[in-house]
Amino acid sequence: MVRNVDAVDFEPEIVVLYCQQCVAEDADVAAAAKAVSGFRPRFEVMPCSSKVEASHVLKLIEQGADGVAVVGCPEKRCRFLVGSTMAEKRIEYARGLLDEIRMGAERLGMDRASQLSAARLVEIAEHRAAAARALGPNPMKGATGP
Amino acid sequence: MTKGVGTNLEQVLAAGTFAVTAEVGPPRGGDPEAIRRKASFLRGVADAYNVTDNQTAVVRMSSIAGAKILLDEGLEPVMQMTVRDRNRIALQSDLLGAWALGIRNCLCISGDHQKAGAGGKLKGHPGAKNVYDVDSIQLLAVLRDLREQGVQESGDAVDEPVPLFIGAAWTPLAPPEDFRALRLAKKVDAGADFIQTQAVYDVPGFAAAVESAREMELTERTAILAGIIVPRSAGMLRYMNANVPGVNVPDDLIQRMKSAKDPRAEGIAVTVELIEAVRALPGIRGVHLQAIEAEQLLPEVVERAGLLPRPGNK
Amino acid sequence: MIVAEWKPIAELVQMLRGHKKVLLAGCATCVAECASGGEREVETLAPLLRMAMQVDGNPIQIRTKTLERQCEWEFVEELAEIVPEVDAIISIACGIGIQALAERFPDLPVYPGVNTTSLAIREEPGLWAVRCAACGDCVLGDTYGLCPIARCAKSLMNGPCGGTRSDGKCEVDEDVDCVWNLIVERARARGKMQELTEFRKAKDWSNSGHGGPKRILREELRP
Repeated sequence: MVRNVDAVDFEPEIVVLYCQQCVAEDADVAAAAKAVSGFRPRFEVMPCSSKVEASHVLKLIEQGADGVAVVGCPEKRCRFLVGSTMAEKRIEYARGLLDEIRMGAERLGMDRASQLSAARLVEIAEHRAAAARALGPNPMKGATGP
Repeated sequence: MTKGVGTNLEQVLAAGTFAVTAEVGPPRGGDPEAIRRKASFLRGVADAYNVTDNQTAVVRMSSIAGAKILLDEGLEPVMQMTVRDRNRIALQSDLLGAWALGIRNCLCISGDHQKAGAGGKLKGHPGAKNVYDVDSIQLLAVLRDLREQGVQESGDAVDEPVPLFIGAAWTPLAPPEDFRALRLAKKVDAGADFIQTQAVYDVPGFAAAVESAREMELTERTAILAGIIVPRSAGMLRYMNANVPGVNVPDDLIQRMKSAKDPRAEGIAVTVELIEAVRALPGIRGVHLQAIEAEQLLPEVVERAGLLPRPGNK
Repeated sequence: MIVAEWKPIAELVQMLRGHKKVLLAGCATCVAECASGGEREVETLAPLLRMAMQVDGNPIQIRTKTLERQCEWEFVEELAEIVPEVDAIISIACGIGIQALAERFPDLPVYPGVNTTSLAIREEPGLWAVRCAACGDCVLGDTYGLCPIARCAKSLMNGPCGGTRSDGKCEVDEDVDCVWNLIVERARARGKMQELTEFRKAKDWSNSGHGGPKRILREELRP
């Protein structure tokens, strides 16, 4: 569901699920999050990106998130060896499902990087926000609960 | 060798003459003229003519109907029966019906699975329900018992024995190669009077396989006719080499067709050479010629191979 | 296990149009083993369906419950307290479980969220392959533990057809091994190729579904 960008003027809610191994030790994610404008990010840390299941990201979007960004370690850098690789496969799968139901695959994405600064993490969130803007506000906003 | 059925093909083989069978593809429609047209230029070219049974699982006029039309045109048919589409009840019923119509030769094969569908050009019927109630070897035994004992697969009798000249297929070059001669033995034990092989292009490979069969005395108990498909282009040979199991095409043959100025003439020349090569192999009692959608090439092939006139010129 | 696969979401949307509140029922046994109908899949499908119905213009509420097995009446009973709240059930158990729910709750529609397709084994993570065709006349003792009925597209019983590719795969599906090639391999390894020349006669299919809807009665287990 792609809507005309010009017709849309909203601040996308973006959830970022990031692996604690991806960010530099001194990264102050909370501070960087506060300084953001134009979209509303929520940063959630995970012990490994492989903790993310398709159901988690789908639920976040079902509950109103305009976009979800998952951040995991690059190939060969995952502390749990294949964790981030398996996460990537699940995210690809979930993107396919979002496409199938015409919610827009681009609401969801995964980046793989290491030694990220807080600023870089915010950039990743911004990238997802831009994709969400192009798709328009999540149609689930204001929908009746489960 | 003779089982007393009396078909022309049986008699030609019994006399020790190098036999020729040719394949006739029925139309994708109900017009008998399509078969009559082919009969008119194929008359006198072979000792018997196979009518395929929904080859590549594409719906065509039935083999029995095509065979009956050939019969009415004075050509001796070989009906083909796959086990893909009919259960043992329908198969036996169709055998009785075919016999009633005068058909006396029958080739028993597994048949291409319905997912085959003419290589993707047609939709075919990939969603059709599988039958495969019996396999081709069990079908051979059914024909044998109908003839020798006048019984159905169930053990129930039929009114009188059904003498048919029974054929089977052989693909000696598909894996597992060391089992293929043993599987041929199974077919012969189950009743195969004659064999038509998968297309031969690799003569040495084929010769080795035939030799294994000869060592098992199979070439005495059954008449093997080498299958030969007339090449039309290098592309066709390349396709078969890559996609048809058991068909191995040597590179030099592909190159030859590729660099041919007149592919039609080259294809015929290649076919004639193949016929001569397999004819020289001990144990090979004839050839089964196929020119897919191009049966009009066969009269020239058979003439150039020195195989005319056919005995009795039937 | 019995393997089922999700129906396309568009098909499910079509089924659920007109319903306001449904119960999505999962099963923690076979379909969980093949990642189609267990709790994790229920938790994936529920938000997916809510979103799909919203986009379709037919918003829906979905209750969820995963039973240990949907083919066991005492587990099915656990749904009785939820059923009054909903106007339909969509089950992602196999066809057996779906029918059990329909039988226990005959007053509301029970929809299949999956297509039940095969009796298979998980060869590797993410890869399931059929093993059994429930033919009712097992010949695995004759074929070195490899089933030609289920694993051969033509269910051949007397050896391979001419369709074994040069790499040992089947001409019908290039990802599938020719099972007869595998059977011959085992026979060869045990020096028993000659035994494969024994004629296997036509199968009696009557003990399978071909003989009519199966009904198995064990008197000694009846109350």
